[in-house]
Amino acid sequence: MTSAYAPTQSNLVGRLGQAEEHDTLAARNSRLAPGDIVAVKILRFDRAEDRSAYQDFRVPYQKWMRVLDALNWVAENEATDLAYRWFCGSKMCGTCAVRMNGREVLACWEAVEPEMTIEPLRNLPVIRDLVVDRTPYENKVASLEPWIERTDIYQSFPEPLTHKQMKDASKALDCISCMCCYSACPVIGLGDLTNFAGPAPLVQLGQTALDPRNNPMKVKRALALTGIFNCISCYKCEEVCPASIPIVSRIIEPLKAKTAQLIPEMAKHSLALRAIVAARGRVDPSALMLRVQGLKVFVKLPRAIRLLVRGKIDLIKTFLKIKTEASEAAGRILRRRAATK
Amino acid sequence: MQVLTTDVAIIGGGAAGCYAALSLCKNGIKSLIICKGLVGKSGASLFAGNLVISGRLLGNTDEQARNTAEFLIKYHNQFLIDQHWARRCGEWIEKVYYPELEEAGLYFRRDDAGQVVTSPGQIRSVAANVQGNSGVPFMDLRRKQIIKACIPWLEETVATALLRKPDGSVGGVFCLNYITGEYSVVLARAVIMATGYSDRLHARSTGTREMSTDGITLAWRVGATLVNMEMQWWHTNDIAHPPSWQRMQVYPNPMLGSEKSARMVNSAGEEFFNQQQDDPLAFGPYTVQLKALAKQVRAGKARYDGGYYAGFDHCDAAEVDNYTTYGKTFRQLGLRFPQQMVETAVTSHYRQGGIDVDTTTMRSSITGLYVAGGVGGHSNGLIGLATYDGHAVANSLARDLADLRSGSIPDQDIETESRRLSQLRQSSGRGMPPIKVKEKVRELMWEKVGVEKNAASLRSALDDIERIRQDLLPNMWILNQTKTANYEWLDAIDIVNMIDACELIILSSLERKESRGPFFRQDFPLTDNDKWLVANVLKKSGNGIRFEQRPYDLPFLKPDFATKDNLEVTW
Repeated sequence: MTSAYAPTQSNLVGRLGQAEEHDTLAARNSRLAPGDIVAVKILRFDRAEDRSAYQDFRVPYQKWMRVLDALNWVAENEATDLAYRWFCGSKMCGTCAVRMNGREVLACWEAVEPEMTIEPLRNLPVIRDLVVDRTPYENKVASLEPWIERTDIYQSFPEPLTHKQMKDASKALDCISCMCCYSACPVIGLGDLTNFAGPAPLVQLGQTALDPRNNPMKVKRALALTGIFNCISCYKCEEVCPASIPIVSRIIEPLKAKTAQLIPEMAKHSLALRAIVAARGRVDPSALMLRVQGLKVFVKLPRAIRLLVRGKIDLIKTFLKIKTEASEAAGRILRRRAATK
Repeated sequence: MQVLTTDVAIIGGGAAGCYAALSLCKNGIKSLIICKGLVGKSGASLFAGNLVISGRLLGNTDEQARNTAEFLIKYHNQFLIDQHWARRCGEWIEKVYYPELEEAGLYFRRDDAGQVVTSPGQIRSVAANVQGNSGVPFMDLRRKQIIKACIPWLEETVATALLRKPDGSVGGVFCLNYITGEYSVVLARAVIMATGYSDRLHARSTGTREMSTDGITLAWRVGATLVNMEMQWWHTNDIAHPPSWQRMQVYPNPMLGSEKSARMVNSAGEEFFNQQQDDPLAFGPYTVQLKALAKQVRAGKARYDGGYYAGFDHCDAAEVDNYTTYGKTFRQLGLRFPQQMVETAVTSHYRQGGIDVDTTTMRSSITGLYVAGGVGGHSNGLIGLATYDGHAVANSLARDLADLRSGSIPDQDIETESRRLSQLRQSSGRGMPPIKVKEKVRELMWEKVGVEKNAASLRSALDDIERIRQDLLPNMWILNQTKTANYEWLDAIDIVNMIDACELIILSSLERKESRGPFFRQDFPLTDNDKWLVANVLKKSGNGIRFEQRPYDLPFLKPDFATKDNLEVTW
């Protein structure tokens, strides 16, 4: 189905990955007319019988229909045993997130598409159909003790505080813990290979860790548990966030900076990389290896030789070609950035 | 089946239940929260748009402080409120509530210079982070305070019955975790009912999915007295389409940092309500809006289920976006904001009535059963008032608990309840699935017990309810009898409660022979302060019911007329 709607620059929403042509909100809302059929395919799962299968439904479109309306229609008319979680229907409780056509969406918030496949969130155990077990996420959040601990005694309402100081924390406070980002995160998808807490728990932590009223020592304890430098800044989390939180730029990056400051050893790799780029104007893998692993490189000598043979590291470049035009430019840029922070 | 023992069982994980648990904990009293949804993520508390400033906080003048009290008593409760309790609430909110929240870390929205941003005008308010979304960080904070205090909870667990000791007092709760299918019996010396006031009984309702009058019906079944069950509040401008957005409101309340608020136009494009001009004192102007809408409906220029519009086309986008979330709904529908308005409709919102409660002790009429928040019949609360109740009930229990001994619950009662639930899960009649019965009830409530009602429509609704009880309930069928995340089973449990509550609401509506605030009786259009400025008390007697009238003490504010056409009353 094509839409006559032609997007212009002004109605493109400036969010990464979501503002592609013919994918504006107005276009998405006008793809279907009342009476059209929405072809819905839902992944059903029954843990007791360990069986999963897609089931097809044909749902009549209603004006401005959301994914949740389609699920409600199915549960009222076709599959009364469909298990799916929701409470508020207005983007506040954050419990109705699902994957629609491979993308994490809040069912109550997202417009239906003419053909849609609905699946449960990834990276969490599925209980039945679209209902996932939130426990792993909840446990992670609780372990970070996301509350403030004051160094000074609270005086009286209102206490001195400005929005400028709360700017990043305020963004994190928009989080409804729907776990869209948790499902979209490729690092969480690696399972136990890393100790990365994941975007949603980091946003939850950011609410208090980026709050100037919090005790830095308390923040330090929490950050130590996050594995935050496993974040690869792929922006998948930001792309799917229904609350439009700039998760990487306003939460994870400031938290990384805080970690580098409070627990520099956690940021060893990141700080070394930055120093190398500042000095050389490029990434230098062998210098990075030497700085991060130090003498341990010699313990892992066979690996280093393999990298050398395959041309992944270049010792001549590392030891001879240090100063270039690029290195001067990079140094200037990074120093300027550091100065403005 | 697991058996858990605690001092106090709290049913409900919203503002009242959470604060009761936290206050009990401070007094060294153990509690356990039974929450049908997720603590702090379900129920009406989540919807708090902003927080009213009471007393002399944040530079409030004496006049503004008085206005806030007047708003609560007149506009919010149409005088059906214990004014002494209202005064205690106001004082507590000023002295304890705001500092407690801020000390715990709640972020009251500031500007860049550090001033707390307020809505200007005769009654002022503030927001937690963003106006329109205050309930989210507010309740999230409560959730984390509960975790920090290590207070245990049972989530996605429905309380299905109050259990009584042989002396008739309440001493436990039977519940079902509908995700795992496991039954629990919680034995406690007292039970606090804190299930809120926003049940989904009408085709359009603001309540969250799980709200289905459990608190009312469970209390009624053990004999608790109810009050003012007919007093139903309505939202007048919630988004008309799609159905799942029936709670999404075009907030008419004054905006933070702006002199303007939303305006409403009829099908002809004529403005018929603008809070700043038409109702400057009604901070939550829903009832005054509803009366303005009723006149449009009668003139054929709007319907209760749509055909009129609301929006901010008289504002700059930045003015709305600075401190509120209000633009998000328009934009998500692809509407140009703020130029375009959106079609709106009426939605059943808060029920002012509920379980009758002694507002000094928070006791119900049944020993061992206490009440906090919206489920009580003492006020149409705001989140601050519900929280005050949590404080009051915890204080009362700290005094009463010594006299409330834990006692044994007859095995037979536990057996009976467990059998009843299992039978519901195995429903295999030839009638309808439970969700369809639910929808049927909501349709009839909307049609016959909606905004405008009369004796004939109410009697006809009673007949419908009786037919549903006789014909549909015993013949429901469930497609899948699994114990895991079985929402059909939950619907079957809910509908049994809803039917009983609807009947009580209809009977109470027939009893109140006047119109008052949002309660419109076409056959009794006058507000009658001579005869009906009373609590409409509903008691169980033998196998039947009995109504009584209880006058209100009016120490601070009194209405200034005896009788008047309700649509002409300005509150």
